Formats: sequence, C-alpha cells, structure tokens
Amino acid sequence: MLATQSPKKVLIVDDSKVSRMVIKAHILAAYPEWSVQEAASGDEAIGAVERDLPDYCTMDINMPGMLGTDAAEIILAKHPQLRVVIFSANIQEAAQSRAQQLGALFVAKPVTEKSIAQALGHFARGA
Amino acid sequence: MKAKVLSEIQIDALTEVFNVGAGRAALSLSEIVGEEVMLSVPSIEVLKAEDVNSRVLTLKDDKFATVSQLFSGPFEAEAVLLFTENYALEIVRDMMGSQMSIEDLAEFEQEAMCELGNIILNACLSAMADMLGISLNSSLPTYAMSSPDEITARLADKRDEESGEDDDNDGSYVLVLHIDLVLEKHHTEGHLIFLLSSTSLSKLISHIQQYLNNIL
Repeated sequence: MLATQSPKKVLIVDDSKVSRMVIKAHILAAYPEWSVQEAASGDEAIGAVERDLPDYCTMDINMPGMLGTDAAEIILAKHPQLRVVIFSANIQEAAQSRAQQLGALFVAKPVTEKSIAQALGHFARGA
Repeated sequence: MKAKVLSEIQIDALTEVFNVGAGRAALSLSEIVGEEVMLSVPSIEVLKAEDVNSRVLTLKDDKFATVSQLFSGPFEAEAVLLFTENYALEIVRDMMGSQMSIEDLAEFEQEAMCELGNIILNACLSAMADMLGISLNSSLPTYAMSSPDEITARLADKRDEESGEDDDNDGSYVLVLHIDLVLEKHHTEGHLIFLLSSTSLSKLISHIQQYLNNIL
C-alpha cells in the first residue's frame, strides 16, 4: 500500500445498514481520504456506478431483488477495471465459485476487522 | 400488529446476525444433500404472543417435519427447523446413502432428522454466539410431525410459562425469524423459526445493543 495513492472511491452494497456502517467505518479508519458511496440493492448499485464510477466495490449477495453476484456481473461487464469484493454470509461453494468466476474476491461475513483487511488487500493489489 | 420493542438499527443488526447463521446452516445442509441451498433474505418480526398464528408464521402446508432444539445461555430460545413432510425422507436418504429404499429409511427417519436439525440449528446458533461473544448450550433435538396449528400452540405454551414469572403481565413477545432454505433438486423448502419469550428477548436485545456499541 502506497501512502502516495490518490484518494479512491468505494461503493458499499449491502441491504443491511449495520453492515454498510461497519464496512464504511473500517475503510475510513484505514483510508480517511477515500470517499464512500452506499447502495442497498443490486439495482441501486448499478445506478450508483453509472452516476459516479467507483474504483472499488464491496457487494453483498442475498439482498431483496437482484442477487449481488448478478449485479456485480452486470457492472463488471461494463467496467472490468473495477475491483470487486463479494461479502457474503452465504458461504457455500457455489457462491464462492460464482465470485471467483467474476474475478472478484469472496470474503465470508460477518464483517469484522479481519474480513475488511482481506477486502482492502484485494483493493490494494489492483491499485 | 407488530410490537415495537426493537429499534430499526437493532432489527437490522439482528437480521444480519441470523443471516450469517443461516449462511453457515446452508453450508452444512448443502454438504449433506450435495446440492446448493438457495437462501432467502431473512426477515424478522417481533410479535405479541397472542397475535401469532399459522398465517403469521407463513406456514402454507398442512404438515411439517419439525426438529426443535432449546438453546440456553444469556437468553433462551427455541429454534425450530421445518421441512415439508413429503420430502423430509428424501433428505434423509441423501444423508444415509441412496441405495436404501424409502421404506427402510423410515426406520431411521427420526434419528436422521434429529441429526440434520442438530447440525443446521447449531451452525446457525453458533454464528450468533460468536458474533455476540456469548456462549449458548443446546438441548438434544426433538423431532415431530406438526401441523401449523400445533406449532402455533407451542407458542401459546411459551406465553403461559412467561406469565408465571412476570408480574406486570403486559403480554409476552416472540421473535419470528423467517429464512427459507430451498433445495431445488428436492423441490423442497426448509424454514427456520426462532421463538423467544419476552424475558429472553429483552436479554437478546441488550446483547445486540452491546454488539452494536462495539462495532460502531
């Protein structure tokens, strides 16, 4: 991680407000200068990406409406440079391999300091 | 009518805790049946015990294979796993090996369903215990075929137990968690329901608040 990196934009997608708050707090603790956007569903995420393209995205899977992995697929088809972390409580093999196929990193919930560190590591490797 | 005993943020945190629990439960189940388990987005309702009926529990079928277990620790909860009757045996067959006939399997049904419930319910509750930093003990699982009315009647029992220890008897609450676990190959659905008395619910709420205070 280079201290000289320009501030990044992160989109946090999760239907749980608590999860979004925790992810946001941990990211800003590590990178206070980054800007954070939030979305509560796959549809909102797709809209948010079109309005203001982020550098990184954390994506929940099980949300009302579209699956997070489906939203990530749509977003990545248009913006393959975006670094995506799939953050999910659904830790079955099928969910993990779906994330892998998308070229995203799968990180198991709960959202903790440790799981956020994995996500930030994935972001940093793409910087 | 919905009782407002939890704040919006507490409901959110509790839902997320159960979400992680259901994820672990689904992993266990998928390993047993060798198939992906589709999980619904969990929803939580806190209801007055007298308002709970089979409609609220969204139990549309007539009969369910139910495995229930009591969890105790800082609070007590009854966790119930329900499968639609016809397919419970097929799940048991996948657990035991497919060369056995359904007739032979019936003999093992009770034991196998108890074990299945034990694995799934413990996966779910252990996630909750880990996240909340508490320790929960579980009773042995019990298996029964139940109708929605019988399941609802169990809730009424809970209310009776409660009124004995609660002097300002303003009615007790139950927390109903709905999570559907769908097995496409088996054309079946499982439901997870958690029942907490009002005393236990208030203890659970204080742990949820503590969890929130720690993470935010």
